[in-house]
Amino acid sequence: MTQQSNLAINMHGISKSFGPIKALVDANLQVERGSIHGLVGQNGAGKSTIIKALAGMLKPDAGSIEINGKTVTRLTPANIERLGVHFIHQDRLLVPTATIGEAIFLRNEPGFGIFVNHRKMARRARELLKQYFDLDLPAGTLIQDLTTAQQKIVQITRALAQNASVLVLDEPTAALVKREVVSLFNVLRRLKQDGIAVIFISHYMQEIEDICDTVTVMRNGTDVGVVSPKTTSIDEIVRMMINRDVGEMFPKRTVAVGETVLNVSNLSREGHFDDISFDIKAGEVVGITGLLGSGVKELIHCLFGLAKPDSGAFTIDGTATNFSSPVSAVSRNVALVPEDRRAHGVALSLSVRENISIASLDRYSRNGFVTPGPEKSAVDGFIRELSIKTPHRDALVRTLSGGNQQKVALAKWLSCQSKLYVLDEPTVAVDVGAKIEIYTLLNRLAAEGAAILFMSSDLLELVGICDRVLVVYRGELTHEFQAGDVDSDRLLAAASGARSQTGRAAA
Amino acid sequence: MSMIKKLNLSDAAEVSRFAVLLAFVLLFVFFSLASPSFFSTANLFNVLVNNVVLLAIIAFGMTIVISAGGIDLSVGVSVDVASLAFIALLASGSGVGIAVCGGLTAALIVGVLNAVLITRLRISPFLATLGVLFIGQSVQQIATGGGQPIYLVTGEFAKLFNAIVRTQFIGLPTSVWILVLCAIAVYLLLHRSVFGRYVRAFGAQPGVAWYSGIRVPFNMSMVYIACALLCGIAGILLSSTVRSYVPLSGNAFLLDAVGATFIGTTISTERRPSVIGTLLGVMLLAVVKNGLLLIGWNFYWQQVGIGALVFLVLALSFGLRGRAH
Repeated sequence: MTQQSNLAINMHGISKSFGPIKALVDANLQVERGSIHGLVGQNGAGKSTIIKALAGMLKPDAGSIEINGKTVTRLTPANIERLGVHFIHQDRLLVPTATIGEAIFLRNEPGFGIFVNHRKMARRARELLKQYFDLDLPAGTLIQDLTTAQQKIVQITRALAQNASVLVLDEPTAALVKREVVSLFNVLRRLKQDGIAVIFISHYMQEIEDICDTVTVMRNGTDVGVVSPKTTSIDEIVRMMINRDVGEMFPKRTVAVGETVLNVSNLSREGHFDDISFDIKAGEVVGITGLLGSGVKELIHCLFGLAKPDSGAFTIDGTATNFSSPVSAVSRNVALVPEDRRAHGVALSLSVRENISIASLDRYSRNGFVTPGPEKSAVDGFIRELSIKTPHRDALVRTLSGGNQQKVALAKWLSCQSKLYVLDEPTVAVDVGAKIEIYTLLNRLAAEGAAILFMSSDLLELVGICDRVLVVYRGELTHEFQAGDVDSDRLLAAASGARSQTGRAAA
Repeated sequence: MSMIKKLNLSDAAEVSRFAVLLAFVLLFVFFSLASPSFFSTANLFNVLVNNVVLLAIIAFGMTIVISAGGIDLSVGVSVDVASLAFIALLASGSGVGIAVCGGLTAALIVGVLNAVLITRLRISPFLATLGVLFIGQSVQQIATGGGQPIYLVTGEFAKLFNAIVRTQFIGLPTSVWILVLCAIAVYLLLHRSVFGRYVRAFGAQPGVAWYSGIRVPFNMSMVYIACALLCGIAGILLSSTVRSYVPLSGNAFLLDAVGATFIGTTISTERRPSVIGTLLGVMLLAVVKNGLLLIGWNFYWQQVGIGALVFLVLALSFGLRGRAH
């Protein structure tokens, strides 16, 4: 091998069909050594299929794969790591009861023969975490005691400990807070200088622009372009992904505001939030945001009966309410689309039908028995209405993309004909196309008289779709902005506590 | 059944669902050829009454619990206490109706105890029911002076037992009809009712059930109570068959019930427990036990045969399924 190309990964002409569905059509992915390469596209564009082909999880029908200049014919999940390619999967979690050391050195334990040197393992693990991420955790900490962000960091550290030459990160920042994202990006830049190729999959276009040298844009199972974010704008990249203009992203609407649905007065929960008052009328989409630890999450939990306020009260449709559990919240037509979709939003091993009807079975049953006819036609109606992409109503939710899973989580509450929708980061890990569909749906629900409380850390989307935005800072409701009177910079300043901003302070 | 409607032989994953049925048919044919006495009315009748009915009713209870993502290690205790109460009440001169109610109440107490431990004290189902198993075994030994059986020899009860075991309705004994009723009831409960949907939701993802406004503690309690009541029915049938209460005899059913339920999950593409699957699992175990006995394998080798069979069915089912992906 005299003339070695500089490509760490060269996937050429990859095609893959699942029955009649063409997941990949002559798709290419070329990644140079020492570069960070973005892979973007809507869900269903073929991103995850091409990554699975690289991981050896499925065998392409046609095409060739070269890793570090060598053509590889037999790729399996077992030998891919030996070829130097490591995957940090979005949902591949670590063994909860393992220690940090055990997780980092899994299949690579330091020691002698079958004996593991636990003390050395724990010490090395701690050193590595400190070295790469400046993260100081006690040796022997269990994975289940870490935050999602820390678990992600442990996964990346494991790959680094095994001298990866290619690192594939699938939505690595979805669960990270800003500080951790910055630290992750610093690590990635250093890895790049060490000649490691990084494939970076993300729905956050801002991150793609910040970190990537080149970007492969996928649409309909093929690569529609390889561009550099330095010369191509985000808007242009998004246009390539969705094949339409970004201006259509936040649908405009005008809705007549009705009666007050939710009235929160002087609500407090010790140590989380203090003396919060606001109301939401029928037809309104009200955004709420706050940094991690601001108490906004706990506030939302109180509204759905997952936590109890210490003092203060709230009313739904004018009736004082005290939810002791989600049971009473649901019975009062309050809906929560939770942040952790896989743990609380949808049951992955149940079908689309079972998920959609689970909270409203009283509508589809007689004398305690499910009436399949009405249930099926209602579910089919929601699948059509929300354009949930599923082969049929009895397909397992596991097989759906993130955006479609989120639509199922929403359909569950549409089926209840909820009055107040509380949405906790509903567009995280949802592709651009599905995001637009979710925004359109929220607008329609508001137009039909629902009240919507939209919690998000994506300030652009808050500005884009909300009638008002509330900002919680350190447990206090510090700002209330009207739509058209705010941009994401002012929101960020308010959420970070910069009081000099001119936003009208909330009563 | 939708099972048949959806059958598509070109799809290995679909074929894998029929591994249990296939194994059952093959073994049935094999034993019929290997032992002349296997395929006789008397023997098949014996298998049905003695090996299928009791295990199936208990396994139905286990099927509900496993569907809900739990496990009940105390099924033997529910069987035993129902049997004990039934026989003790009869022995002390109570009427049959009262004795049956007493037996079911005893089982109900076990179910309520499990439910309280699991839903109120938040003990994991495995540990909670294991604790109840230990306590239940000791209580029986204490109550019977170290494990003495209670026999009912009086002639007046012979009629009752004959009614349950010997009386036939359309050619089948009463106990088989009780099994049929239990199967229909559990099928409706698990596969057709709102409760069944909730059960599956806990089994799939408890967090989603809670966040969907389902009354999780109440429904979860009902799961363990239903299981205990089914075991209670089995306990009453057991003591009617053997005309006595033998302490700790219910335990023998535990592993077979768990095994039958898991063998039964292979008939579903989603690997879910089901009434039909469990029934098939029970019949498979029963045929193997009886068949191996008839072709002359001794008791100890039967266990080896059953173990090998479980591996075979699961390997066949998972093997075909694996290749499909």
